[in-house]
Amino acid sequence: MIRLSRRAGACAAILSVAVLLPAVATGQTGEPKPDLSGFWINQYTPDLSRVLGGQPPFTAAGAERWRTVDTAKDPTGRCWPPGPTRAFTAPFPFLLVQQPKTIALLYEYFTIWRVIYMDGRPHPADIAEYPDFMGHSIGRWEGAVLVVDTVGIDERSWLDTAGHEHSDKLHVVERFEKDGGNIKWTATFDDPVFFTKPWSITRTFTPGKADDRIMPYTCTDNNKDVDQVRPNQPNLNYTFVPEAPR
Amino acid sequence: MRSTVAVVAVTFALMFAAGDALRAHHSFAAEYDRTKPITLTGTVTKVEWQNPHIYFYLDIKNADGAVENWAIEGGAPNALYRAGWRKDSLQAGSAVTVEGWLAKSGAKLANMRSVVLADGRRVLGGSSAGDQPN
Repeated sequence: MIRLSRRAGACAAILSVAVLLPAVATGQTGEPKPDLSGFWINQYTPDLSRVLGGQPPFTAAGAERWRTVDTAKDPTGRCWPPGPTRAFTAPFPFLLVQQPKTIALLYEYFTIWRVIYMDGRPHPADIAEYPDFMGHSIGRWEGAVLVVDTVGIDERSWLDTAGHEHSDKLHVVERFEKDGGNIKWTATFDDPVFFTKPWSITRTFTPGKADDRIMPYTCTDNNKDVDQVRPNQPNLNYTFVPEAPR
Repeated sequence: MRSTVAVVAVTFALMFAAGDALRAHHSFAAEYDRTKPITLTGTVTKVEWQNPHIYFYLDIKNADGAVENWAIEGGAPNALYRAGWRKDSLQAGSAVTVEGWLAKSGAKLANMRSVVLADGRRVLGGSSAGDQPN
């Protein structure tokens, strides 16, 4: 058996990684893509309208849903998944695992995951028949920005704790880009049933520390809230002001 | 609508002022009554350091002198950890005063705003910097 000296072994390891890394990181254009992998901490955002600076541009139907929403009926209170964007605005961290053909988002919240398919596939033609609370996501690189397109989101998910809802026509586009040591995340919501035009919010994910860990989260164990919530309709006085039509 | 916005804004200001923007997945207002602030003084019997919220339990003497056990809901473990708190920051047997908001259901349950030990040190709220946890 040939035994490499420790130094030769280390050199071989370094060389092999150096050869492999560019192949992993380089996209079609040949420029290296950023590696977004890591443990990331959300900015807790229970009400998206506070980031937007006002209510989203509702249609009449969307406004009526907002006006009558009962926050005791929050789907996450029944341990239903939070949806693709609410997982990024909840007060729980996530792991991002980036590989060339798939990017996995592993959320502490509900111990749930999303996968972003990076292999160029389209959304399946029958995606509307298979709604997923977390949606179906496909991604691509625009330069150094990861752009993710998501449809097929189960209409029972809420966009936030405040109770902003959506229809099965919701189409979400997210942009992830490195911003110093952080990730800047912009989500654009396009749903012609609920909103007269697309609208966007931006949040920042900050990196965790070396000793950070994903904590256990089993919703059906320790769901003490489910028996405690009482009907709560805080928006009954909301006055809808129609936006200009699309 | 303006008054609703004002109430929401004050609620959020209170939450952040308490250093605890850690209300988890459910709606605070569906479960707790912000018009019913409560102060509870008792002895910690148990701490559950679990998602989505930690809970700890207090033995409290009521007006009749009988002991009642109350549940207090706090933030999420990872968020508390980042603020410097640990699973053993609050220990069974500690005498504490909790300020919070009463559950709407009538249960012996409150959502914590602040927890103060008998010696005046704060626990589980804001950051532990400057207040050494146990």
